[in-house]
Amino acid sequence: MITLILRRLGTAIPTLFVVIFLSFLLMRLAPGGPFDGERPLDPATRAALTAAYGLDLPLHEQFLRYIGNLAQGDFGPSLVYRDFTVTALVAKGLPISLTLGGLALILALALGIALGLWAAVRAGGSVDRTVSIVTTILTALPSFVTAPLLVLLFGLTLGWLPVSGWNEGAPLNLILPVIALALPVAGAVAKLTRAGLATALSEDHVRTARARGLSPARVLLRHALRPAIVPVASYIGPAAAGLLTGAVVIETVFALPGLGRYFVQGALNRDYPLVLGVVTLYAALIILFNLFADLIYGWLDPRVRG
Amino acid sequence: MKAPLIIVGVIVAAALLVPPLLPWGYDVIDWNAVRAEPLTGTHLLGTDNVGRDLLARTLVGTRVTLGVALAAALVSLVIGVAWGAIAGWVGGKTDELMMRIVDALYALPFMFVVILLMVVFGRSILLVFIGIGAVEWLTMARVVRGQVLQLKQRPFIIAAEAAGAPARAIMTGHLLPNVAGVAIAYLLLTVPQVVMVESFLSFLGLGVQEPLTSLGIMIKEGADDMDIAPFALLLPGGILVTLLVCLTLAGEKLRDRFAG
Repeated sequence: MITLILRRLGTAIPTLFVVIFLSFLLMRLAPGGPFDGERPLDPATRAALTAAYGLDLPLHEQFLRYIGNLAQGDFGPSLVYRDFTVTALVAKGLPISLTLGGLALILALALGIALGLWAAVRAGGSVDRTVSIVTTILTALPSFVTAPLLVLLFGLTLGWLPVSGWNEGAPLNLILPVIALALPVAGAVAKLTRAGLATALSEDHVRTARARGLSPARVLLRHALRPAIVPVASYIGPAAAGLLTGAVVIETVFALPGLGRYFVQGALNRDYPLVLGVVTLYAALIILFNLFADLIYGWLDPRVRG
Repeated sequence: MKAPLIIVGVIVAAALLVPPLLPWGYDVIDWNAVRAEPLTGTHLLGTDNVGRDLLARTLVGTRVTLGVALAAALVSLVIGVAWGAIAGWVGGKTDELMMRIVDALYALPFMFVVILLMVVFGRSILLVFIGIGAVEWLTMARVVRGQVLQLKQRPFIIAAEAAGAPARAIMTGHLLPNVAGVAIAYLLLTVPQVVMVESFLSFLGLGVQEPLTSLGIMIKEGADDMDIAPFALLLPGGILVTLLVCLTLAGEKLRDRFAG
């Protein structure tokens, strides 16, 4: 297990480093500088500012400096949200995004595995076909279409749930965003579970368990499900990426003050440090989730631990 | 596979042929008919919140969305096939390195990389499809490499090599024609993904820019106005979902046929 962790870290850390390096390089390549205003600055002021931010240093020294600051959790100042550092904005937005993403991941796994199980038990029947169509539609429906439709139905027409806003994380305000975020992932999880179970149910150990007279439910849950959800476990990495991406839209639609919202605002206003900081953070989170998925994979399937 | 492709064909034909026949352009404002209901006056499907013809806008938006998607999918096809074919053909250390790079890129937050590109180089439609194409080639590269690895073992390739055919001739004459089927299936599967990315970016205001329109922009406009006029959301949303589902179904069928 430890070799597995070390081997995965061996690729994860260079990947993260490359992401940070490329993002940094892109930002420096960008036309225009932070001090290009309507009125040209007086040369002495400009020189002082450039020196204060370390922009007069050679590129590699700037990069080392940036990495050094990152390691201390300092993402630099935000250019648009004056008086805020990027770190402060991240500290405000990240808990909200993580709550949203975490709940959506749990819902997607529960719903997806349940749907997949149901379809596999009734393999070939009408339930199986219906679930297959529903999951295809779920995966094809983008969250920026489902989210407004859910608001239209449950918020505006029926008036059961709040239309938008965070409201200090009140459960009622969370229902629609979490569902809208979870649906596409749930569709993919259901497909993977269904396919995994189809393979697992035809394997020898399952046939043996059946031959020994175990009840169908016990065969399914105890002997078939564990190997069947291995593909689901390795999907957690991409799912996390999908949820983080989806959260950007969901937070915009529901006006939630999460990280995705700051990211979009930053992108629209060319707030380079904010965008760079959030991209770095997202990359780190996704790499972390991939690592986590590999570990669950290793735990579920002893053959890959070696 | 037939029905989904026919539906896509009808939508594409309508998007290409119908707009010139309509009495209103997609960006013309009719001050006398703001938020007109469908089937009123000269607006067949009504107008949006500033009086622009919804049918014309939806069709032109579909055209832009599909145009961007096709261009981006072609960019991904060129990069993916070249990368995968070279890795599979050369093999050894080169193959390992090239596939390592693909694995590493898979772990990246794509959408954010594309957004980063938009932020840095300004928002232009050209960049939208180059950016999307540049990040969507990974699956194509993997699939093509797998095919090339299999083909390399086949007698006709070995015979061509033994006969002294130059690598270029084997590549263009023997390998690529045999990879084409699978590549086209994955191209078809890439299109809905690119449609999704483009609409996502446009929805956030980071993709196609006004006055040009796309399905993503229309969904955003419709969502902002849905408490008063839900039809402006339902029409482009419905077209987008139909396109995505049909293209995915057709692509999966085609892929299964070649993979099977």
